[in-house]
Amino acid sequence: MYTVGIDIGSITTKAAALQHGKLVGTNLVFTGYNSAAAGKRVFTELLQNIGINETADIKIVATGYGRSSLDFADKAVTEITCHAAGAYFLNDKIRFIIDIGGQDSKAILLDDRGKVKNFIMNDKCAAGTGRFLEVMARALEINLDDFGALSLLAQNPAQISSLCTVFAESEVISLISKGVARENIIAGIHESIGSRIAALAARAGLTTPLMVTGGVAKNVGLIQALEKALGLKAEVSEYAQLTGAIGAAVLAGNL
Amino acid sequence: MQAINELYDVVGDPLTYARRLKEQTGKKIIGYMCTYAPEEIIQAAGAHPLRLFGSNKNIFLADGHLQAYCCSLVRGVLEDALAGDLNFLDGMIFPHTCDTIQRLSDIWRLNISFGFHLDVVLPVKLNTKSARDYMIDVQNLFRNDLEKALQVRITDDSIKKSISLFNEIRSGLEKVYELKNINPEVISGKDLSVLVRAAMIMERNDYLKILQNVIAELEKKSGAAKAPGAKRLVLAGGICSQPDIYSVIEDAGGVVVGDDLCTGSRYFAGIINAEGDPIAAIAERYVQRPVCPAKHMDKNARAENLIKIAKDGKAAGVIFLLLKFCDPHAFDYPDLKEALARASIPSLLLEVEDQPQAQGQLKTRIEAFLETIS
Repeated sequence: MYTVGIDIGSITTKAAALQHGKLVGTNLVFTGYNSAAAGKRVFTELLQNIGINETADIKIVATGYGRSSLDFADKAVTEITCHAAGAYFLNDKIRFIIDIGGQDSKAILLDDRGKVKNFIMNDKCAAGTGRFLEVMARALEINLDDFGALSLLAQNPAQISSLCTVFAESEVISLISKGVARENIIAGIHESIGSRIAALAARAGLTTPLMVTGGVAKNVGLIQALEKALGLKAEVSEYAQLTGAIGAAVLAGNL
Repeated sequence: MQAINELYDVVGDPLTYARRLKEQTGKKIIGYMCTYAPEEIIQAAGAHPLRLFGSNKNIFLADGHLQAYCCSLVRGVLEDALAGDLNFLDGMIFPHTCDTIQRLSDIWRLNISFGFHLDVVLPVKLNTKSARDYMIDVQNLFRNDLEKALQVRITDDSIKKSISLFNEIRSGLEKVYELKNINPEVISGKDLSVLVRAAMIMERNDYLKILQNVIAELEKKSGAAKAPGAKRLVLAGGICSQPDIYSVIEDAGGVVVGDDLCTGSRYFAGIINAEGDPIAAIAERYVQRPVCPAKHMDKNARAENLIKIAKDGKAAGVIFLLLKFCDPHAFDYPDLKEALARASIPSLLLEVEDQPQAQGQLKTRIEAFLETIS
């Protein structure tokens, strides 16, 4: 039997398939305007990729902010529970997760069986999220994928004091006009996000081993800034962006 | 539920209700914002006590007078006042509780021209002998001030009559909470929240009749199913102006079986002794009643009360519903949260505003909390 998890996030929609407890396929598409259509598409493509038929015996759990829009899912589970299950699946030593997604960030404390003991989400504000980084990348005319590597070259990270996306953008623009090097501005952005997320983690009862999940975990510069702010090493799985979908597939196994 | 339907209109638009009440009965309408306003004395003066809950409008007038760290309740009430929507009020009462309401009192005095303005300077510590005496003096002073402002005599007999009316309302609400605790499906959380808030808006005799009908209806229904799968929760915090939150909780598989809210059990807790000096009896209720965080009782009193509510409700968890920028509640929260953790009761913190929330995030937090307490 196959189990599939579909994670409909604010920017990307992810899917993962498990067979007999082994990860056999993943897929990712942009969510766009219609989250239900994105969920359907990511699922159909995934099945094509791993070569199984939609009529096969498949249990499906949907998660992410669009979780209730999928009518073909067997169950909807919040991304908090799914990230916990996914991180535990990837490494059962993990006791704390920082998930940085497109529109919010979460700090999740796990017990030794991988169950959620406590969690905190940021406010409705986009500061410290993927969307925040996208806005900054646009202001700096840099591809977001190059953000991490570039920031590692910084000699002297700039100070970004504002926590608000809109105000931080205008701070960045005034740094640009002062001629501050891009890598220093980017490193400054990462440090401001890092310290904000460190505060969130502390409130949720930060402990180790720690894993960072979500799309933003692919940004090596941000991970370094976050580790510095936390004073801890963080584990980043190659499946960081897919952790929620993987967790949903794991939980579908219990249905 | 049939008997509650008409209350939705009242709670949805309390100012229209109050304006109409004034037109039809000629009653003086006295506004207040907090359960420490002595409604019994206002009622005894022949006037109508109207609790104000903030505004659904966009705020722009009030922001010229208030700092960014003031809560949406104070911001909304001031907005309504400055916009002229409250100019039917004959007076406004400010019991000294939190700093922001005290400062609102000053802003009101300097900027609002309609109606009289009364401060009720309550003691902060309520667990001393002198606090009790002082509380009696404050209530007596309020009675005199109100007599002058309304140019009426407030007799002991009229206060006693008023006390018995409020006792009936309070014990009626207590009864509804008991029925809900026994069988959470007997009344939805949203209906219950509207029922409690209507008690602070409607003409109290009219309200009591509706409340009695509601109780009769609920008693008939109380043998029905008992929400077997739903997880029992308690809400704690200040005001809850968003009945929709109950629906979000119920959709996520939870049910609210009790609360420690200013728009909930703190409003109706405690019966006033109908014998003896009525003013002393009113003061006595205030010093006995579970406190709001702007008042001081024993340092463990709030935590013990909350744990008792949770245990009485056999609750699997507590959701703190804190109004953003409400510092008295925010300062008490860490202690309450730790006390609950020591009693093995999980809790979730939700910060809310009067204005509509980002529903998606609220839903995710509540659903995730319910998933963790399975």
